[in-house]
Amino acid sequence: MREVSLQIDSGERLALLGPNGAGKTTLVRCVSGRVRPDHGRIRLWGEPLSPALRAEHLGLVPQDIALYPALTARANLEIFGRLYGLRGSELARRVEWALEWVGLSARARDRIATYSGGMKRRINLACGVLHGPRVALLDEPTAGVDPQSRERIYDMLDELGSQGTAFVMATHHLDEAETRSDRVAILDAGRVIEEGTVPELVERTVGRRRRVVMRLDRPLEQPIPGILPGSHSAEAVIETEDVGKDLPVALAALESVHHRIRDFEIEAPNLHAVFIHLTGRELRE
Amino acid sequence: MIGPVFRTGVLNLLHSRVDILLTFLVPIAFFTVFTLIFDRGVGTTRELPIVIADEDGSGAGRELGRRLGEQAGLRLHWPGGEPGAPVTREAAEHAIRGGFAKAAIVIPPGWPQPEAAGRAVRPPALPLEILLDTSDPIAGRIIQALLVQQAAAVALGGPEPEAEALPVHVVDLLAEDKSNPVVAVHAAGIAVMFLLFGAVGAAGTLIDEEQTGTLERLLATRATMTGLLLGKWLFLTCLGVVQVTAMFAFGQAAFDADLTGHLPGFGVMTVVTAMAASSFALLLATACRSRAQLNGVAIVVVLCMSALGGSMIPRYVMSEELQQIGLLTFNAWALDGYMKVFWLERPLADLAPQAAVLAASALVLFGAARALAGRWQTL
Repeated sequence: MREVSLQIDSGERLALLGPNGAGKTTLVRCVSGRVRPDHGRIRLWGEPLSPALRAEHLGLVPQDIALYPALTARANLEIFGRLYGLRGSELARRVEWALEWVGLSARARDRIATYSGGMKRRINLACGVLHGPRVALLDEPTAGVDPQSRERIYDMLDELGSQGTAFVMATHHLDEAETRSDRVAILDAGRVIEEGTVPELVERTVGRRRRVVMRLDRPLEQPIPGILPGSHSAEAVIETEDVGKDLPVALAALESVHHRIRDFEIEAPNLHAVFIHLTGRELRE
Repeated sequence: MIGPVFRTGVLNLLHSRVDILLTFLVPIAFFTVFTLIFDRGVGTTRELPIVIADEDGSGAGRELGRRLGEQAGLRLHWPGGEPGAPVTREAAEHAIRGGFAKAAIVIPPGWPQPEAAGRAVRPPALPLEILLDTSDPIAGRIIQALLVQQAAAVALGGPEPEAEALPVHVVDLLAEDKSNPVVAVHAAGIAVMFLLFGAVGAAGTLIDEEQTGTLERLLATRATMTGLLLGKWLFLTCLGVVQVTAMFAFGQAAFDADLTGHLPGFGVMTVVTAMAASSFALLLATACRSRAQLNGVAIVVVLCMSALGGSMIPRYVMSEELQQIGLLTFNAWALDGYMKVFWLERPLADLAPQAAVLAASALVLFGAARALAGRWQTL
């Protein structure tokens, strides 16, 4: 990794995006201590991130289901709670909180091996944040789960974030990064190539240009200035930076040649467009 | 239909080094080890150490001692350290109880025949006495056969059929007041081998944890790699102690082995053996990259160690050189210790060499495992 400089504030959610091999997991591992960087510094609230500070204030949620499948959910939580330094009534209280938080209190005595993928993900998440870390490192926290479980996991993260926990989340899901994070850092080949809020990234890369697709009653019979044919025969398209001004003009032009508008859709530049713009379409191995 | 399935089988085999190892190398390795053991491929025929307590001291007794000493399969042991010095029956017994000799031959005063002066009928021949360590039953029979043959030559001037007339009184010196000591020695051999297999299997969780990301998560907590390994080592050691104890307890319940009568020695040997086995298992686990590799390596290494170390075949059937090679395995040290406890009934202090070697092995192997585990600690 080179030229990586990121900052995250309390309660903030930072998404790390990048193609395969971009360095997302490596960056998470640098922060968690698994990978030792050759250069640079990692600080937590201004202090160098020592192993003791890391164990107390960081929570790691690996991409894999890093649990003991033969043990119950409660036993897994108790083991990781102890390893994070929780003891006695504090440990019991946090375990109960975690089971409640992930909605698995009723299944607390069941072995992890009997859980569904989504349930395992939730316990996997709970084991990493059981000790109330100030920063949680999440590596693909919703990999391989259904939409319902994904929504549940993000609701859980919202709840935790509202209590001040910051998240660094490596993900491939652009829609999740766009809707569930405050800022996005896009990595490629070990570097951070862009970083900011989604509107900032759009502004700096693909611009604010909108694409309006209009579905007509029949194909366009003659060219109309400022209106392009769409990808389907009965579609017309305009591209504009001011929809409010240019769309009525286009609608009037179509009406003048006796076309009826059956439907229309405004396509705004999104994170997907930014991502493809920055990292290209070539396959990464 | 059959062709693609056959081809898939061949390709899978060619791409799996573990399967190739188990299919081809393991049988060859075992064939080699067992050939070395039974065909004496390494070293010379073993010599059985014996003591001669010549209470007669006359010409016939001395001649018998000389002839036995010249036998290729026997080696005279002198308890006092000075060859040719007189040996008492007590000293000979002590040499056997100490494990220095397999047998002692006691030649009674007046052997082969008391004076016939004043008697009408010639008195019967005096019996020779063999004090045996029957932990090696083959040795006992060899020594007995050689004794009868040489005694006949000395007393009667020739071998059979006159040899039958010479009485030999055999005393099983070490087993005489024990309930079933052989079972305890066999149990030790089997227990140590399965202790190794069990420990390696349990240590394999380390590889599972590495591959599932659990190790990464563990290392992100307050746990250190040394702490993790020590925790696993302690668990494996306790598991091993329970495993071996269960085996011996079953031996006592089912086969009359005397565990409760030897608890202190058994405790010492079991703890140090389990310590060494746990460290060894952790070393294998940290050296391997996958469960499959660990299983393949463990089968080869543990079975070879067990074969050479005496868990499968008693070391006394091996040549002297192979017995020495066997000492490179801690099976041999463990079994020697258990032999001292259950068969020779030596005091605890006499277990010091075995206990020290096993404890030192545990320390060194754990250190090596810790060094290898460093590759998982930081990438």
